[in-house]
Amino acid sequence: MDSSPPTMPEAKLLPGDLAIWFFIFMELLVFGIFFIVYAVMRIENIELFNEYQQTLNRELGLANTLLLISASYFVVRAVQAIRQNHAASCVYWLYAALAGGGGFLILKSLEYNEKFSAGISLSTNTFYMFYLSLTIFHFLHVILGMLILFAVAVKAKRGAYTAVSHTGVETAASYWHMVDLVWVILFPLVYIIR
Amino acid sequence: MKTLYNVHTIWLLMMLLTLASYFVGEVGPGGWLAMLFVLVAALVKGIFIIRDFMELHGVSLLWRVIMYGWLWVVCISIAVAYFI
Repeated sequence: MDSSPPTMPEAKLLPGDLAIWFFIFMELLVFGIFFIVYAVMRIENIELFNEYQQTLNRELGLANTLLLISASYFVVRAVQAIRQNHAASCVYWLYAALAGGGGFLILKSLEYNEKFSAGISLSTNTFYMFYLSLTIFHFLHVILGMLILFAVAVKAKRGAYTAVSHTGVETAASYWHMVDLVWVILFPLVYIIR
Repeated sequence: MKTLYNVHTIWLLMMLLTLASYFVGEVGPGGWLAMLFVLVAALVKGIFIIRDFMELHGVSLLWRVIMYGWLWVVCISIAVAYFI
């Protein structure tokens, strides 16, 4: 009979580089504060927020959400591929994710063009100030995420990652999922809930 | 059952939740119940992203508390601000 004390299962390591998780945490803190301030400011301006929320293009918001969720799924597939040593497949999935991110940027640019053409700016009213600053801040994160994914795709194509050494792919994936996570809250908050 | 819970079905479920949220907001009955549904759908999608896409299932408790804590605090704060 085994008399040794039962051992606790060891916690799994965080995927990717530990440094990216501190960066993700800081980013989430900033977005979290932004979201809560938006919700609190809305309490004092409910009619204004409800009225101007109706002017947003929710169909573009919906399409963008579907694009980002799909891009995140493609990144998951890229990580799965490199873990099986399928570098070519990993590159393919990363390009698919980049296409999703690119689609997001195009649709968002169309949305901004519509608003800016109508003379809407940060100083139009409190709702637009939040709408523009929140979504533009997120837009910049999508661009950064795409740059990281592209750099990783180029490295993967050159054979820099293998089944046993692919921290870079996991690091890029973690950052991209953070961008998706933020949008998953931002979309209903700014476009739908009223 | 375990075979049904994978990244493919999670992706499909998140797409369906997104479509459902849009239709509830657009053509649904409105009111606090509809908005609660939209917020809960966002919370569920966030849990899927953290648990299964970011692969934080089984990592140290500290990181799970940080990530899920952020999600819950944000969602509950929004709910409180909208429904008080």
